[in-house]
Amino acid sequence: MLMRGLRIILPIALFLGLIRFWEWSVVYLEIPPFILPPPSAILAVFATDGASLLGSAWTTLGTTLAAFTLATVSGTALAALFASSRIAEAALSPYAVILQVTPIIAIAPLIIVWVGLDNAWLTVLILAWIAAFFPVLASATAGLKAVDPNLRDLFRLYRADFRQTFIRLMVPSSLPYLLAGIKTAGGLALVGAVVAEFAAASGNTDGLAWRILEAGNRLQIAKMFAALLLLALMGVVLYAILSFVEWLLLHRWHGDRRHA
Amino acid sequence: MSSGLRLDRLAKTFPNGTAALGELSADIEAGAFVSLLGPSGCGKSTVLRLIAGLEEPTRGRVGWPQTRGSLGFIFQEPTLMAWATATNNIALPLELAGMAKSEARERARVALEKVGLAGFADALPRELSGGMRMRVSIARALVADPDVLLMDEPFAALDEFTRGKLNDDLLRLWAERRFTGIFVTHSVFEAVYLSQRILILSGRPGRLVADIENPAPYPREPGYRTSAAFNATARDILDALEDVSTC
Repeated sequence: MLMRGLRIILPIALFLGLIRFWEWSVVYLEIPPFILPPPSAILAVFATDGASLLGSAWTTLGTTLAAFTLATVSGTALAALFASSRIAEAALSPYAVILQVTPIIAIAPLIIVWVGLDNAWLTVLILAWIAAFFPVLASATAGLKAVDPNLRDLFRLYRADFRQTFIRLMVPSSLPYLLAGIKTAGGLALVGAVVAEFAAASGNTDGLAWRILEAGNRLQIAKMFAALLLLALMGVVLYAILSFVEWLLLHRWHGDRRHA
Repeated sequence: MSSGLRLDRLAKTFPNGTAALGELSADIEAGAFVSLLGPSGCGKSTVLRLIAGLEEPTRGRVGWPQTRGSLGFIFQEPTLMAWATATNNIALPLELAGMAKSEARERARVALEKVGLAGFADALPRELSGGMRMRVSIARALVADPDVLLMDEPFAALDEFTRGKLNDDLLRLWAERRFTGIFVTHSVFEAVYLSQRILILSGRPGRLVADIENPAPYPREPGYRTSAAFNATARDILDALEDVSTC
């Protein structure tokens, strides 16, 4: 119980201490605010530019969630296709890997040309989707292959058809793997959305990346920090929500699978 | 209900060249309890998989009276779905066969009571001990009332006490249902205690080296384990095993 309390109190205490030290050192060492603004100045930005920052955060969050949803659905669907057809897997999996290993920032100009500058939001969505897609595909494929061979035999013995085997055996078996991949995909969707905003959409969308660039050009460093703070917050909350969903779905039966 | 079967010069060589089973021929009567006994890796499990249709024989065939009898299979591991309750695990064969959920689960609950786990209907596998998981596995194998029950060293991983208890439970269920039981084991004493007949396999590829009757009547009580009749049958088997090379 004491340990548990410390696990919450210690990081918060450390955080407050560091903030205090930051504030103090900026003033004491006379660091100019266009190099490192004090925390109080960053907080003040939310009073002056809060509305525009939150609006941008809303845009980036929307893209992230849409890309994440697309990646989860398409990654799972393709993994299911791979599991049901070796031919499809042999034919398609190299392309999935190529899509994964090619840096999205390098694909960005091509996507812009294809989609058109008028649809910058679509470019960002596509790029963020590509970034988040692969971990879902890889983990779902691994999960679908990790089915206990004895259980598979049991289903064959009772003459289960593919649909029954898929829904009752393969999906639940692969769930722990899939959820781990989805958790990674959540973070990558955010990274992908911001990178894509930088690469493809400056001036054409109003995501947080654009606010960061804009503030940088005007040497509004405090505003840059404020935007970064919002991004970090979004990433943490997304990860926390996905971790909670994972816990909700798995904690009862996934405690120790070795003896199951 | 139960069904006999005939193993007709059954042989299996795996694609990698391993000859798992030589030519095995045996008639197994309906309602009999037969053990396949031999050292580990002698193709005993292969025989069960061939009977179950999980492998195709290289030569020979498994003959059934008319159609293939309905089967239950108990693996060496409990092989339960970790995400499903005891009841839902047991209901699986019925639901796969298309029975309505409510009826399947009702019958699963009855089956769970039969193996002494009435209070554990909603328990998940990880909440059960090794012996209890094996009981769930037995209940699942029997819930659809199979003609033939195939058992692949089901109690090998359990401690001596649990194993003895489950042997008795198994015999009681057999006496009630009269399925045809085919039990793979490498324990001489387990084979004697359970079976009417013991087929001894040797080799690699596995071959039938002895076919020993055990005339002791049922019900067999734990006292049978220390009786002269038990010793005599065990002696016969040990003599036959003298000639068997380990695999």
